[in-house]
Amino acid sequence: MASDTGSSPNPELPAALHRLRSTLARLKAELELAETDGAVPPTMRLLEDVREALAHLGAAEDASQRRGSVLVVDDDARLAEITARGLRRLGFDADASSSLRNLRAREVLIFDLSLLEALDAAARQDIRASRPIVVTGATDAGSRALAASLDASDYLVKPIELEELAAAINRRLAEE
Amino acid sequence: MWFWPHQRFSSCSRNAELLIIAAGIGGVTAKLLVVDDEPRTAELTAALLRRAGYTVEVAASGTEAVARARSSAPDLMLLDYEMPDMQAPEVLDELRSGADRVAFPVIIFTGARHSPSDQVIGIERGATDYIVKGTDRQVLLARVRGALRERATGDRVLVRGRLRIDIGKGQAFLASKELKLERRPLLMLQVLAAREGEAVTRAELLEHVWGSTFKGFEHSVEQAAYELRRALKEPGWIETVRGIGYRFVTQP
Repeated sequence: MASDTGSSPNPELPAALHRLRSTLARLKAELELAETDGAVPPTMRLLEDVREALAHLGAAEDASQRRGSVLVVDDDARLAEITARGLRRLGFDADASSSLRNLRAREVLIFDLSLLEALDAAARQDIRASRPIVVTGATDAGSRALAASLDASDYLVKPIELEELAAAINRRLAEE
Repeated sequence: MWFWPHQRFSSCSRNAELLIIAAGIGGVTAKLLVVDDEPRTAELTAALLRRAGYTVEVAASGTEAVARARSSAPDLMLLDYEMPDMQAPEVLDELRSGADRVAFPVIIFTGARHSPSDQVIGIERGATDYIVKGTDRQVLLARVRGALRERATGDRVLVRGRLRIDIGKGQAFLASKELKLERRPLLMLQVLAAREGEAVTRAELLEHVWGSTFKGFEHSVEQAAYELRRALKEPGWIETVRGIGYRFVTQP
């Protein structure tokens, strides 16, 4: 279950709100200009602005509630999706992927160790920096050492119970 | 697999035709019910889903959603969390009305990214998934497909060598002898046999066989596997795949 969201002011919030307002202002100006000129608004650019505004809104939501989203990365795409869906039912904003993508601020990474081999040093460094929750099918010492080398915040062995994973995510979020 | 041309809002009519053809090949014919009290949101969501080849109806309130679902159940419902007459959990309660699960998957559309208490209510009341408003449409379509897949039961009678599973009647036979199985081991056998030769994860078995209850699942899956093997009497049909789950292997 979700941890207490806390109530003290968070310095990230004003920054995220500032960026949100800037993006919306740009969007408005672009539309007003098109209106004055009787021109067709630049759809692609506006769409990009809307996506950006939603991302800033997301950052503001995360900051105001001291929570983040979750990314489940597993080479088995269906398993990743089922896990993410289960986490969404438990109240987490969870996404699934069968390969690593750039992490958002405050995003908790749940990472299947078997994907590590295919990654270069830079990607490993990114994973390490995110203090991931590492998931593995193996319990051998080698796997544990690999998890330790990734500075994992938790190490879970498949099959994973969803509540166990949720508890690990909450522990990871509580560290911040 | 069929692909969705990203970010093409203009020149829609030709794209729409292409997409409907593509969706036809993929076999998308499900009927969806979109429920939202905000008419533009409802219509835009419906339009997006229609372009992906689905048949879509729209309801403008919780009351209307319940009435429509009762007169003709959809294959999937997309339900706005917050409506003036009812909230999503109340709609789910109405839809269950005594039965232990809603008969079709329900995806809840919510404006709040972080509302743990509300969503936990959603699990208990049988929501299949959640989508935050403003989520990219490719993701929305993927979640709709995922929820529909969960519902698909496949063929009514499965035959695997000497094993015959009659899903409609809830019976399984090895040669001509009926296997004495409870509902859940039988469902598990059905899921495994349908994906013959493939390792099926415990998480997937749990999702298909036990619905949305996750508590104590490992034990339940193992117990069901034990009962299955005991009923089958012959070794080899149900293999344990260490660290993953189980695999069905047809025996000579």
